[in-house]
Order: sequence, then C-alpha cells, then structure tokens
Amino acid sequence: MAKEEPREFKAEVVVPYELAVGRTWTTFYDTLKEEKILGTKCRKCGRVFVPPRTFCPRCFEEMDEWVEVAQEGVVETWALINMPFYGQQLEIPFVSAQIRLDGSDTGFTHRIGGFDLKDFETVRTRVKLGSRVRTVWSKEKKGGILDIDYFEPVK
Amino acid sequence: MRRVAIASMAQSSGGESRDSLMDFTFRVAKEALDKAGMTRDEVGCIMIGSSDIFHSGLSCSNSFDWDGTGAFLKEGSRAEESIFAFIYACMRIMSGQFDTVLVTSLVKGSENPDNDACTSFFADPFYLRPVGMNETTAAAMQMREYMWRYSITEEQCAKVVEKNLGNALYNPYAHIKKKVTIDDVLSSPTISDPLKVLECAPKSDGVVSVLLASEEKVGELTNRPVWLKGYGCSIDHFYPGDRDLLDGELKTAAAAAYKMAGITDPKKEIDVAEICEPYAFQELLWCEQLGLCGEGEGGTLIDSGVTRMNGTLPVNPSGGVLAMNPYVSRGLYRIVEAALQIRGRAGEHQVDKDVKTALAHGTQGFAGQCHSVVILEG
Amino acid sequence: MGKPVAIIGTGQTNHGRRRDVSYPELVREAVVAAFEDAGITPQDIDGVVSGTMPSMMEGISLTHFYFADALCQVGKPILKVETCGSTGQSLGHCGYYWVASGMGDIVLVVGHEKMHEGDSQATMTTVFDPFFQQTFAAGAPGIFTMQCMEWMYRFNIDEQKAREAAALVSVSNHDNAFDNPYAHIKIRVTVDDVKSAKVITYPVRLLDVCPNSDGACAVIFASEEKAKKICKKPAWIKGMGFRGEEFFFGESDKSVWPSATEAAKEAYNMAGIRDPLKELDVAEVYNPFTYQEMIFYECFGFCPRGEGPDYVLKGTFKKGGKLPCDPSGGTLCTNPIGATGLIRLAESVLQVTGKAGDRQVEGAKLALSHAMGGTDQFNGITIVSSEL
Repeated sequence: MAKEEPREFKAEVVVPYELAVGRTWTTFYDTLKEEKILGTKCRKCGRVFVPPRTFCPRCFEEMDEWVEVAQEGVVETWALINMPFYGQQLEIPFVSAQIRLDGSDTGFTHRIGGFDLKDFETVRTRVKLGSRVRTVWSKEKKGGILDIDYFEPVK
Repeated sequence: MRRVAIASMAQSSGGESRDSLMDFTFRVAKEALDKAGMTRDEVGCIMIGSSDIFHSGLSCSNSFDWDGTGAFLKEGSRAEESIFAFIYACMRIMSGQFDTVLVTSLVKGSENPDNDACTSFFADPFYLRPVGMNETTAAAMQMREYMWRYSITEEQCAKVVEKNLGNALYNPYAHIKKKVTIDDVLSSPTISDPLKVLECAPKSDGVVSVLLASEEKVGELTNRPVWLKGYGCSIDHFYPGDRDLLDGELKTAAAAAYKMAGITDPKKEIDVAEICEPYAFQELLWCEQLGLCGEGEGGTLIDSGVTRMNGTLPVNPSGGVLAMNPYVSRGLYRIVEAALQIRGRAGEHQVDKDVKTALAHGTQGFAGQCHSVVILEG
Repeated sequence: MGKPVAIIGTGQTNHGRRRDVSYPELVREAVVAAFEDAGITPQDIDGVVSGTMPSMMEGISLTHFYFADALCQVGKPILKVETCGSTGQSLGHCGYYWVASGMGDIVLVVGHEKMHEGDSQATMTTVFDPFFQQTFAAGAPGIFTMQCMEWMYRFNIDEQKAREAAALVSVSNHDNAFDNPYAHIKIRVTVDDVKSAKVITYPVRLLDVCPNSDGACAVIFASEEKAKKICKKPAWIKGMGFRGEEFFFGESDKSVWPSATEAAKEAYNMAGIRDPLKELDVAEVYNPFTYQEMIFYECFGFCPRGEGPDYVLKGTFKKGGKLPCDPSGGTLCTNPIGATGLIRLAESVLQVTGKAGDRQVEGAKLALSHAMGGTDQFNGITIVSSEL
C-alpha cells in the first residue's frame, strides 16, 4: 500500500492542425489588407453578416452577394478582460467587444483600445454600450483578424 | 417499436476539401434535404456526429457544427461518433416524439494531425500513452496474434487491400483510387510490424448526411425507403491486455443486431456487408466475428472469392475504410453505402445480385474496443 | 409527451478538488452510488450513455473507451453524447429517448469532468472559432460578462440594482451549498464580500463566478414497467427541450436569449405547464454566473423581462421563497462541467422524490432542471414530477 499521498502527473498536450479557411473567409481576409470590411447578404432574410458567411444559418441558403460595410459602428456589448490563462493570444487587460458595423446586422467580435486600460473605472467612462467606435488599422497587414488593430471610441 | 427508414442521403468524396469545415458541412446537409424535397424548417430534429478537439481542433465541436448542420433553434444533439449519432436519431423517431431527424457526420482528416496522433489520446496518460499505444500499435499486435493462432498468411491479409482498393476504383466518392497488387502491398514499407503501409487506412475528409423518417412520414419523402431492422453495440475492456484481442465484443454486438432483425443465419441472410476495416486483416477477423464465416476461416473466406464484388457475399463493394477513412464519419459512410446497395443505386460499384438485407459495421478504439452493427432492409 | 420514462436512482461524487482519485475512479464512485440508490446491479443495465465537456479539459479523447470498466458496462451498448456545458442535460435527454424508443428498459447515464487536471479557461477559449473570435475570447467569463452588460442596457436595469441582486444570488447559493453534502465550495459570504471581491471581467467579480470542480454524476432511467417493479418512488420525466443558436456570438440577441426561451417553451408545452412560477415547486438552474442566473429567470418565464433583479430582491427564488432556485447551491458552488447539467437533473429528482435531505423543498412535486453550453449558445431543460 502507498504510504504517500496520491501523486499528480505532469502532462502536456499539443496538437497541430491546418484548418481550411475557405473561399468566403479568404476573400474577407484579403480585402482587410486593402482596409475594407466585407460582409455577405442573405437574399431571403436580407441580413448582412460580418464576418461574411457562405450560407445563412437560419434560411439555410447560400449567400453570394457581397456588401462593403462601414468602418464605424455601435458597441453592442463589451467586457474588460483581466483574467490570464494558458495560451491567451492578447495581453491582459483588454476590452473584448461586439461591434455592429453600420450596414451590417450581426455583432462583430473585436477589441476596443487606443487608451490606457489599467484602471477599469476609467475604461467605463470611455467605453459605453450604444456608443460609437471606428476601425484603427494595423500598419503591417498579415491577412488575419488583427489587420484591424482595434476599434477606438469616436469622440 | 416504431419503424424508422432512411429517406435520403448525401456524401462528400474523401479527398481534401478547400472549403472551411462549416461550408463543407452545409453543402452535404443541404443536399440531403434537397433530395427529399424538405426544408430546414420542416425537419423535426438535428443530430450531429462529430468528435471534439482532437479531430477538429475545436473544443465542443457541436458549437461550430451547429450552423452547417442546419440546427439553428431546432431540437438537436451531438454524439461523438457517427453510428452513435445514427442510432440516437433512430431512437428519437422510435420514441414517437419526432417524425424526421437529419443526421450529419463531419470530419476533415486533411486538417488534422495523423490518425495515430489522435488515437494516442484515447490512451490513459499514465500507462498506455507513455508506452506508445495507439490504434495502429494495437492493430499490429492483434494481427500478429491472428496470424499465429489461425495460420492466417500475410498474403491473405494483403488480398483484402487488393480487393477493396480495386472496388474503390468504381466508387466516385472514394478517396484512394489506386490499383494495387498483392505484391505491391507486401512490398510496401512496414509501418508497425507486421502491418504494412498499404494495409492501413488513409485519413480522409468526409461529411455524410442521412435524413431519417418515421414509417408514417417516409412515403412523402421517397419511394425507396431503406429500413432499420437491427442494431447492436458493445464495448470491451479498456486495457488491451485485459482482453482476448481475437474474441472481442463484435460477437456480442452482432448477436444483438441479428436478434433484433430476426436473422438466424447471417451467412445466408446478409446480401452485402460494409465493414469497417482500418487495417486490412481486420476485415477477415470481423467477418468471422460477424458470423459470415467460421472461426479462423477469415483467410479461406478471402481466398474463396466470396467477398468480392461479384461473389455471393460481397464485402466492402465501396472500397471500405481502406479507400476512405473520415475517422468520425466512417461508420455512417458504411450505412449509406449499404443503403445505396439496397436501393440499387450504388452505380458502378453496385453488386451483381439482388440486395434485400445489408449489414453496416463501425468500430473505434484499440483493436476494436467498441463495435456497432446495423442491419438495413429494403 | 410520449412513453412514460422514470428515473429510479441517482449518484454523485463528493465534488471538489479530487486529488485522491484518478479520473476513472471518480466516474466509478458516481456509478456505484447510483446502483446503490436504485437497488440494482450493473447486470440489470441495458445500455449506458456517457459524456463530458471537451476532451481538452483532461487531455483524453473519446473518454468512453477509458471509462468502459469504470462504468461497469463491458459487453453493453454505449452512446457518447456531448453538447459542451449543456452536456449533462443532453445526456439525460438521451437516457429518456433510449428507454422511450423501446431499445432498452434500464439505461445508465453518466456525466463527468475533472477540471483541476487542465486549464479550464484555456480549454473553453478553444470553443471559439480560430479564424475570428478566438483571439478576443476569454473563456466563459468574457462572454457571460458581455451578455449581462447587453441585458442591463437593453432593459435599462440600474447597474447598482443589478449589482445588489447579483450579490444576493451569490450569498443565497453559497448558503444553500452548506445544506448539500456533495457541494464543492462551502464558504459563508456577505453581500459586501461579493461586491468587493476581485474583478474577473468587469463588473463580474470572483464571488459571482463558479469554481472549477472535479466530479461525476450518474442517473438511472427506466421504463414504466421496470420502474414500478424496482422503485418505490420514482421521478417521472414530464418535459424536455433543447435549443441552440448560431455559432458566432454576435448573431443572436443574448439579452433575450432565444435558445433558453425556446427550450423552456418546448419543455413547458410537453409538460403542460402554463404558469411556471406558480406550477413549479423548485428549479435547479445552471448558474455559473450570478448575473446570468437572473437572465435565465426571465427566459424561463419566472418573471417578466428586465425584472429579474427586482424578483431576486423580493426573495422570490431563495429558500422559502415562491420558487426556490438551486437549493443545492447550484453551479455557482459546484461545477464539474460535463456532470453539472446532470447534477441539476439529479438534484431535481431528489427534490420530487423527497430525498434531498437538508436542502429538501417541502412537498416538492414538480421540478425544472437546466444546463447551458457553448458560447452562450445552447440551453437544455428537463422537467420531472413525482406523479406519473
């Protein structure tokens, strides 16, 4: 019989993938490089999706109509993230937000920044639900979601 | 018990798709609905067969899968394997609560690490994983024991590859299209002795969709329903060392399926079988355990030619898993292929005989830890 | 509602940080407890349903292989059903359909998670798509916070009032956990403690969120005939509902949460419930976050939209209130995710069968249990009754 306390065992699981982005999302990323934000429009329900989708999840029909949406929009909701975890891609604190860009019908997930985020009472005065934000582009474009660096409050 | 039938089916081919997994899923699910003249709104329930993170890089894969399978605000669920999804969908109809369920299984092998990088995560982290256990290692041990106990030859095992890849040449959806000879197989590199590369299944992309309907409803959707007649499933001990690798739980699963279907002599009553053989010799061993030949007779079965496309009991006319291995979806592919044979709509790989009753089989886990057997009838 | 199906036994582990057992041993603990409760043996079982949250939580894929022996079901048919955080409810639904289909008379259903073995928030972040949203995700707290902000804004709920009510929700759940021998977190907290706890994702603080727990739960389903033979006082399934929204978080309106609303509506229809606040005796709501618990009250029709905090301040949902919610201490005090939704079901069964001990709601006959999953995407509900 074991005399010691039951032991714990260190293990790490790392698994690589190569995920197909597909035509629709490839188009979206390619146009981000040109500082344009594209969505797709469902012919049946008329909603515009950003990021674009190949099909409308509700109508279950293909979407082939592309629409350029505005680079400004309304904050639908936000959260100040102050919680670290393994593999986190952004440095904390950061403001995660849903932004409804003018001309679109869905919340676009991105971050709000461009000012000091250390004190959340200050953040609250800068970021408000229903307030407007605009795109700030990264200088260097990599064909990814961070080609938009962040959204900044419109004064 | 309320009867359940397959009303329509759609499948993708196994080669690498450049579509995102979401779009790839949508196209096949939509095709199955279109074939039955049904819209997403009209379906009673959605069932997903998929495996989370290790087979997609996505945790809780039902989250990502939900849109493409047409499940928005519909009653639905997800099983971690495609035959599980199929039978759970059947149960939902049998219960009387639903008249139709759309079952879709999805995986993109081309995006994933090697099969055994995934299967090694079935192993417990303390004991089996550090000693290199995965499905191929377990299969190699099983093969050696099989050859030794029943004097099965390497040529007989290789013959399964020659037969199945030969069949796959006629299947437009098969992934591997390559004519191979027994010599090609025997001279291919050894991957895990005694298993050779050509005796092991590839990793494939595969989305497959089946629309199931109740007896009352199916007439509106198709004039060629394929009925579920029997189902059996059984799981074995986890540690391969705790089991007899040549006398596993497939017998139990088959017995349950035959009992439900009223089959007493499978050799005579089964017209065609689609068997999950990720490793060539397993087709022979599984045929024994399914009662399609006697114990230890898998070798003579393949030698006799009975299981060839033009034989009296064709096995894997589609080319089987050796030709097409979308890991999570492969069980439902067997069901679809069996159903196509019953409908007489398999095209160039339609067998040369009348098919009334067909068997579909799926397995996963080390050396076949878990088996499912489905009996379908026209 | 179709064929009657009963629950004839439940089993839970002592939830918490279970360094003393391996993952299969933890599963076995719940399974053995359920057999004891039902007074049957593993041989009586016709099939087993097993499920967890994502396999990355423990780094083991397709755990039903690993647990075949722990489930005591070698040689039996198995199904593995998983829907993220709502897994527990989905498992229960599968147990129901297995029996109702006639494919089995007695079915064992088991949910499990050993969250201390991995990094839960890192795991949950991989639920988000890797193309767009994952970069900005912060596990569960990130999205739940966004949802509660949207809800307060939509219904013009005063932030201070919501804060006060959320703190009360925390206090009452923590108090309730003391009545539950299986609960993980057992600490007395005050409203001030909650309001001054560390900020996790503003305005959500440490005492507004659930812990990571190790735990398993097993529930045994049986046909009417078997249940009447085996069990003196079974619980009967009266209604079920499961709904999911689109994958991308920004697509559905989370402040009115269609999946939660529709799942409840479906379950009420099946059970013939018209006024849930009046007709239900107790509810086990999946409440990993205090603010979110109030959104559930609204979606489930326990109170009008936007009035969750008012009803909480009135004491409607606490012990002795009109509709006691989570007398077990809920998810807020115990959250082994893959088991959590099934624990809600098991707790509701204990309530309607009068076996809930110190947390018993006097005379409870009709109970709701619930679970939520994905990126605020899925909701599943089951309603059980003491009456056939």
